[in-house]
Amino acid sequence: MKKYLAVLLAVVFVAAMAVTGCNPADQGSTPDASAPVQTPANTQGGAETPTEEPNLEPIKIGCIQDTSGGASIAGKPNEWGVQYAVKWINENGGVNGRMIELYTRDCQNDAEVGVTCYRELVDEIGVSAIIGPPLSNPASAWVDLATEDQIPIVGHFMDEQCTTDPETGEAYPYMFLAEPSCSVQSYILAQYAMEELGVKTVATLFNTSNAYAVAHEAPFVDYIKANGGTVLAEETFTWTDTDYTAQAQKIAALNPDAVLLCDYCNQMVTAYDNLRDAGYTGKILGANTMYPPFNTLVKNKVYDCYFVQNYDLKDTTKGTIAELVATQMADTNTDYPTSNVGFGWDAAMVLYNAMLQANDPADGEEVREILENNTADVLSAGGETITIDPATHRPTRDMGMYIATYDENNEIVCLVYRTTDYVK
Amino acid sequence: MSLQLLISGISLGSVYALIAVGFAIVFSVLKFSNFAHGGMISACAYIGYYFQRSFPSTPPIYVTILFSALCGVALSFLVDFIAYRRLRAKQAPNIYYFLASITVSIAIVQILSVFYGNNLYAYPAIFESTTFFIGSIRFSTIDTLILLVSLAMLAVLIYLIDKTRVGLAIRAVAINAQTSKLMGINSGFIIVAVFAIAGVLAGVSGVLLGLKYSIYPTLGSQMMLKGFIASVIGGLGSLSGAIAAAIILGVVEIFLTYYLGSLSTPIILFGVMLVFLAVRPEGIAGRFAKDKV
Repeated sequence: MKKYLAVLLAVVFVAAMAVTGCNPADQGSTPDASAPVQTPANTQGGAETPTEEPNLEPIKIGCIQDTSGGASIAGKPNEWGVQYAVKWINENGGVNGRMIELYTRDCQNDAEVGVTCYRELVDEIGVSAIIGPPLSNPASAWVDLATEDQIPIVGHFMDEQCTTDPETGEAYPYMFLAEPSCSVQSYILAQYAMEELGVKTVATLFNTSNAYAVAHEAPFVDYIKANGGTVLAEETFTWTDTDYTAQAQKIAALNPDAVLLCDYCNQMVTAYDNLRDAGYTGKILGANTMYPPFNTLVKNKVYDCYFVQNYDLKDTTKGTIAELVATQMADTNTDYPTSNVGFGWDAAMVLYNAMLQANDPADGEEVREILENNTADVLSAGGETITIDPATHRPTRDMGMYIATYDENNEIVCLVYRTTDYVK
Repeated sequence: MSLQLLISGISLGSVYALIAVGFAIVFSVLKFSNFAHGGMISACAYIGYYFQRSFPSTPPIYVTILFSALCGVALSFLVDFIAYRRLRAKQAPNIYYFLASITVSIAIVQILSVFYGNNLYAYPAIFESTTFFIGSIRFSTIDTLILLVSLAMLAVLIYLIDKTRVGLAIRAVAINAQTSKLMGINSGFIIVAVFAIAGVLAGVSGVLLGLKYSIYPTLGSQMMLKGFIASVIGGLGSLSGAIAAAIILGVVEIFLTYYLGSLSTPIILFGVMLVFLAVRPEGIAGRFAKDKV
């Protein structure tokens, strides 16, 4: 009986590990992009090499994404983008001949789990750098840890508080952002709304539990006020709320020219439907989570929606995003295109660019120095360039965003690519 | 505006009622809070969605609901077999049921995340318009459907429990399982019947919530919190109490959010729940509830 029990427990344990993705050697769900590509170079890397020969030991890099939590809809394609970039790097000779070994972990959009993932990657695996998620809550918990351990972290945590100290404005030494921050995105959106759409009065509806949403809302409101507009209401909700009807009715009664929605896609869908159901017929502005599948999930007709978008996913003439998205959709049985594939790719490429320039790409301090001072014109998936501002560790303002909308066929249309030099 | 808020509150309450009834039926007999119900709702939402997609032309929604309800029954039996049956055989304390139900709920969500986490889904719209008017008052079509279904299910359940032999047996087992057994009632069959009812409710809830919201792995478990509050306020195990409390909860929540904001509202709602547990643990239904796990 005990033998059967032991066998049963072993089977359950293995099944649970497979289900939760905690396999110590797990490299994600994409078979061909998952495991580090074994080349003659990296299979030799484990051996002790004479000092005159180049070091061909693999470089261990961590990747922390939310692949099972509330933001997994973004985390999974993000992780795939990183895996695909690493595969591409290894197939193209690695970092000066050294292959990259990628170790992925699931932070479940939870700051505490994120710290556990970080500690495991740094203390047990011994990674040299980490590619972080497009999530501000977990990333903000790594600021001090990364400094202490000298581990550069490149990611898409757009809240500026993940990269600069809100008190002093100084950049955190080891945190780097690979896309425009929430503030910049909000300035671009607010600027477009006022200049092109003629918006004078606005209301906002956002998730106060989500740093990403809060970091979008405040700069948007600042911009509107600073440029003569009026903010009629700032309505909020939290993670535990499932319905925003009361807030929507309040906003509908005030009838502003436009309403800004900020949160992840799921909540954006509910907020949009609640607003339209409450009788609001004005313009609805959104963060970049308003991209598909938003248009396929809402129950109301999609109209007068304007939102920021990192890439023109249909543009096959610029960058690699269209190809990346098509490959990811085919590989992972995903039903709709998502920008997050490009996020993962971009973060990996920014780190790769720094490692290429380093004498020792596994030296966190050296890579950090290069990320800060010598990251210029790295080609993004969208065909734009990423130049890191040494003062903020975020892309310079010449990296902008598209303003996108949905046409009458419910198809996404990128209207214009805009940058901003607005500073609060 | 107040009338519009009242209607919106009743609509929101109907969603909570759907969850609370499934919760209450299991508690009434087995005396534990079946948190796995949330995971089952999520699973049934996916089942209904894939059932619809498997036909060249979308089948009528009642066919989808029926199929999902049948699958809900099967899933409910499976959950009982995996998580609860051995606990019953060992006459384990309620805390074990509580832990088992939480574990099953998390496991279902994780399994759904692994297999379906790449995409968000939505049922095709079943109404041409998402709202309709009576006078100047705006009604949500899907919320009205949910309210009607909740009330219909309550009516069927009350008939089943009050007017049938199985219902009589359920009531007897709910009062005292051991004594019922001595009186010749097959309590094992009654428990299976209760899980079957809970499965039907999970199946119906899954499709209806899927029609209202998007489909994602935590859909059901996210709704459980408010369903649980309604169940406590209504009197754990009381079906009519759960529905009444759910409607009241929806109305109060809408008014509080409108006038005080969404940040203060949960403090008051949880405060009310604590007051009920401390002062009137039997809930508004007045029915005695022995365990409040």
